[in-house]
Amino acid sequence: MEHIFESLTQFWEYTGFANCSWQNLVMIGIGLVFITLAIVKEWEPMLLVPIGFGMIVGNIPMFPGLNIGVYEDGSVLNILYQGVKQGWYPPLIFLGIGAMTDFSALISQPRLILIGAAAQMGIFGAYLLALLFGFAPNEAGAIGIIGGADGPTAIFLSSKLAPDLMGAIAVSAYSYMALVPVIQKPIMLLLTNKKERLIRMPAPRVVSKKEKIIFPIVGFLITAFIVPSGLPLLGMLFFGNLLKESGVTKRLANTASGPLIDVVTTLIGLTVGASTQADKFISVKSILIFGLGLLSFVIATTCGVLFVKMMNLFISNPAKKINPLIGNAGVSAVPDSARVSETVGREIDPTNHLLMHAMGPNVAGVIGSAVAAGILLSFLG
Amino acid sequence: MRKFLTTVLVLATSLSLRAQNVSDLIISEAVAQPDSTGILDDYGRRSGWIELYNKSTGTVNFGGCYLTDDRTNLRKSLIPKSDLRTKLGPRQVVLIWCSGHGADGTFYADFTLAPGKTVYLVSNDGRTIIDSLAIPATLPYGLAAYKLAADIRQQEFEFIDNPEVPSPRMINGDHGSATKGEIMKERDPYGWILSVVSVSVVFSALALLWFLFWLLFDRPARKAAKAGDASATLSMTKGKRAVIPSEAEESQVAAAIALALDMETGGDTYAAIATAVHLYLTQSVHDVEPGIVTIRRTESGWNNKALNFRKLPRR
Repeated sequence: MEHIFESLTQFWEYTGFANCSWQNLVMIGIGLVFITLAIVKEWEPMLLVPIGFGMIVGNIPMFPGLNIGVYEDGSVLNILYQGVKQGWYPPLIFLGIGAMTDFSALISQPRLILIGAAAQMGIFGAYLLALLFGFAPNEAGAIGIIGGADGPTAIFLSSKLAPDLMGAIAVSAYSYMALVPVIQKPIMLLLTNKKERLIRMPAPRVVSKKEKIIFPIVGFLITAFIVPSGLPLLGMLFFGNLLKESGVTKRLANTASGPLIDVVTTLIGLTVGASTQADKFISVKSILIFGLGLLSFVIATTCGVLFVKMMNLFISNPAKKINPLIGNAGVSAVPDSARVSETVGREIDPTNHLLMHAMGPNVAGVIGSAVAAGILLSFLG
Repeated sequence: MRKFLTTVLVLATSLSLRAQNVSDLIISEAVAQPDSTGILDDYGRRSGWIELYNKSTGTVNFGGCYLTDDRTNLRKSLIPKSDLRTKLGPRQVVLIWCSGHGADGTFYADFTLAPGKTVYLVSNDGRTIIDSLAIPATLPYGLAAYKLAADIRQQEFEFIDNPEVPSPRMINGDHGSATKGEIMKERDPYGWILSVVSVSVVFSALALLWFLFWLLFDRPARKAAKAGDASATLSMTKGKRAVIPSEAEESQVAAAIALALDMETGGDTYAAIATAVHLYLTQSVHDVEPGIVTIRRTESGWNNKALNFRKLPRR
């Protein structure tokens, strides 16, 4: 009888109920909110479902030493987490993004590339603010990259500069990417008047296959020579795009843009979510990171819209003016921010379609944020 | 022939890669005459030793390489190939005892060290000298000749003239040097310099990209469009002479497609509209069929007798 009681007591000690803390419950609650938002509101379901479930997985209270936790060497979750920790997953995702991205909108109107550069101000604005809040320069750099609105880039850079903050940075970046429509729309409306919102942009010209093939090669050479530290991201992005545009590697392009990116997205989402274990995640720093992440999105959107307005000052031909509503798309949340441009544009003129125009700065933002990450890595890594 | 050339190319590449790997090794430290405080080898002797350091970020297998103190005999002491312990991890060191008895073990060399000698690390081809370390003739007992990295992250080692107290199995470098982040904090506490420089670099990179594509493709294409017929221009696509509508027509067509789709589907079909317009403008879809039917003969095998035989039952 005594043995049975001892065994039951021992079993109880191993259960989640015995090891549970309020922090675990808070994190499980956040995970459930993420899943609910993804399923009910359909906000970035591909990201929020794996991250939300990962949060629940990572915060199941457990008896330490069983070698099953994400931070315990050799456990299954730990092995999968190495892709995040060592930065393998983000370049693979960039390969898939490259194979899915059509740069035609950018090539047909090269001037829109500059909007993608302007929106990267969000990164450096958040960097300055993070320094003000007392973060070390390497931590500030990792936090700033949230403003690039690019999850893989944020994970890649934070794994190199501030691994301890990676969970909070990744969750913050993906959360705000899902909230792009909510964050960007009021800023766009605040910074533009009705006349500007009604600007009709000239239709993009036809882009030849030759241009599409040359773009990834030239783009890679220029950006990689200027910022070699961005090589893993830029190389994979442009390589993926060359696979797609060359037309002779269809199978490779299909794999990169289909099964491969799906597998990596699943793993990255789940393990990033699981890395948010309550004892490592719930802290004042995490709250500050969430605040700074939001500010970085606001700065990025503001700079993008204002930059277009400034460009318009130098464009004398009214037919060639740029609608400032595509300025928000300079952040690299593809294609969500471009969709916001379209939606807000159609609210004032249902026949004015801005999606194709907004895709230009949107894909330029992907390149811009990878370049910015490379610069930060070379300065602070 | 093509297969042969490919094989040769692959082999040559793999050999050069291997050579590259081994070339990341340096002789970082050597003690020729240990004193009574010197460390003992596995046999309890105080032999001279050299320290090899892998300055790369990958594992290097130095099995098969040679050590020598004789420039005219580069294959004097072979490091065994078959020992797994010859794999040296990134930024790791290993000691080789110069006892004069290579048969003592994997990490023993067939020569002894003395002041004034130079020790060489030779690649597995037996010809290429990877690194060398000259032991000063005046090296006192118990002290080491060594190479030091001023900044351990830069991995640039320099020979130091003044002998030092030996530091076996330790990386020779200033381990207390500041990190890049710490340096930035000191030089740029508010982050303005980094921000301005970084924004300039991002703009420069993307502006260069814009300028190149504007100059090479956008400008000529727009010029061609202007110079052509007012209503139609020829596409730049190689081998195709598809007709492209003028800008005004493009806009009208795009708007018409969008409106039609919107009315038909009754709402949120932006992506479909954009795709339709894009496909139309890039001639990925066409309204007129070419009217050419090509019939190619393919073997169906209907009259192949071998396919009609019934298989005999196996017993």
